[in-house]
Amino acid sequence: MQRAGTSIRLNHVSKSFSIGRKTVAAVDAVDLTIEAGEFVSFIGPSGCGKSTILRMVAALEAPTAGQVTIGDLPPSEMAQHHRLGVAFQDHALLPWLTVRKNVELPFRIASRPVNDQQIDQLLNLVGLSEFDRARPKQLSGGMRQRASIARALILQPDVLLLDEPFGALDQVTRRHLNIELQNIWARNAITTILITHSVDEALFLSDRVVVLSGRPGRVVKVLPVPFGRPRSPSVMRDPLFHQLADDLTESLEGYVGSEEP
Amino acid sequence: MLTGLRTAKLLLVQISGIVGLIVLWQFWVAARGLNTIVLPGPMSVVLQLLNEPAVYFWNGLHTLALALAGLALGTLLGTTVAVVAWSSRLFEGILTPLGLIFSSVPIVALIPVIARILGYDVRTELAIVILISFFPLFVFTLKGLKALPPGASDLFQTLGATKRQHLAWLALPASLPSWLTGFRIAAPHAVLAAIVAEFLMGTSGLGHVLEGARSDLQMQRALAASLSATVISVTFFLLSAVLEQRLLRNR
Ligand SMILES: Nc1ncnc2c1ncn2[C@@H]1O[C@H](COP(=O)(O)OP(=O)(O)O)[C@@H](O)[C@H]1O
Ligand SMILES: [Mg+2]
Repeated sequence: MQRAGTSIRLNHVSKSFSIGRKTVAAVDAVDLTIEAGEFVSFIGPSGCGKSTILRMVAALEAPTAGQVTIGDLPPSEMAQHHRLGVAFQDHALLPWLTVRKNVELPFRIASRPVNDQQIDQLLNLVGLSEFDRARPKQLSGGMRQRASIARALILQPDVLLLDEPFGALDQVTRRHLNIELQNIWARNAITTILITHSVDEALFLSDRVVVLSGRPGRVVKVLPVPFGRPRSPSVMRDPLFHQLADDLTESLEGYVGSEEP
Repeated sequence: MLTGLRTAKLLLVQISGIVGLIVLWQFWVAARGLNTIVLPGPMSVVLQLLNEPAVYFWNGLHTLALALAGLALGTLLGTTVAVVAWSSRLFEGILTPLGLIFSSVPIVALIPVIARILGYDVRTELAIVILISFFPLFVFTLKGLKALPPGASDLFQTLGATKRQHLAWLALPASLPSWLTGFRIAAPHAVLAAIVAEFLMGTSGLGHVLEGARSDLQMQRALAASLSATVISVTFFLLSAVLEQRLLRNR
């Protein structure tokens, strides 16, 4: 398989927020390198700082201590060079644009000519060819997430950052999209961070699964996933898969959710 | 969207109220035996309109042109100033209280001041209509520029968008519904402001006709002028409603 993309280095990264006079530590000394072309998932209890980690890689937050680098560059420079692909839990599609125009948007922002052929290909890949003229509100939740992932991929970014993109979907749709995501990713394994709270999703898609503690998020376990690629859905019926899933669930237990009120 | 039949039905319902009011008016005038100086009946008002159509047409046109030009310029100004306020916190801090003050001063109080500066003529009338149209556009555009879809601002940041791209691709399109609300509010106010300005400045237009009729105790003329003004006002309102429906059809 072709390995593409750029490594991501989290160098003793911490982040705290001040809310009024209080300081809330969200992420505590996370030290991790994600190799070029690697797919890494972060799982952890709700409110443990998963999104905060992703937002630091996406240039949306600056660490309080430590650094994040993508290749040799800080995330903000990667953003300026249009090298980041990000998909959020709430799809963030622009409601006044059609699906096609939404997927085109990164070309406009990067001031590059719109490559129609590439858009056709990608829409086809995510199964939205028939819906390219639809507005986001006319789509199902799963279709919106597909469009949002297509938009994240259209400029062939160096890294793909996914924050619970399937979090709001039902189990069947979610499994379906997991399989699709794997197929998309398999075409040119792009360095990917996936935030999720689904152990199965993390195991099925990842090269490594990072388990975070309750807030402040600390790395408590890094599990290399031993299954070869491409993975068929039948992997999920493998006894080893079940055992790993149980292990992960167990290491998650004991941390109750710690969402700020 | 409404189907043709439903639109027709709705129109019928809406018109029935107005017709009812006119019938009531005619009855009341007849029953009380009021003379035309106190309150003329609807028929005599219509006759008055038909008697001197040119007066109402040309003065109506004056009012219409004044209101349209003022509304257009006020819209342009309000939108531009809102964008400037959006672009920097400093400008927003300076412009918001200024806008608020200008909008709270009654136009009747502003007219003499503006007339001193611009002269007792159509320029002052235009300035007043612009001022009245400006404020709703400013407030609603600024509000709309900040009413972004969830996550969109983060998205633009990760895409590496410049401030200008933020405006063109995100904030301006997001502001459209709110901008239209501002426009729908400003449109009938522009007509009202035009008439008040004409009334006080006294050059021409329906406001001027009203003023003349009032001093000569010509109630028929006054009501005929009011009727013409209402037609303009309603037209403005309907036009802005149609504009709104057109532009938001795909949202
Ligand atoms: N912008 C912010 N301001 C203040 N607190 C925040 C902010 N973003 C996140 N937090 C807090 O940081 C903690 C981690 O949040 P988050 O990263 O969203 O958790 P997760 O994605 O794992 O559910 C939470 O307690 C949350 O309330
Ligand atoms: Mg989160």
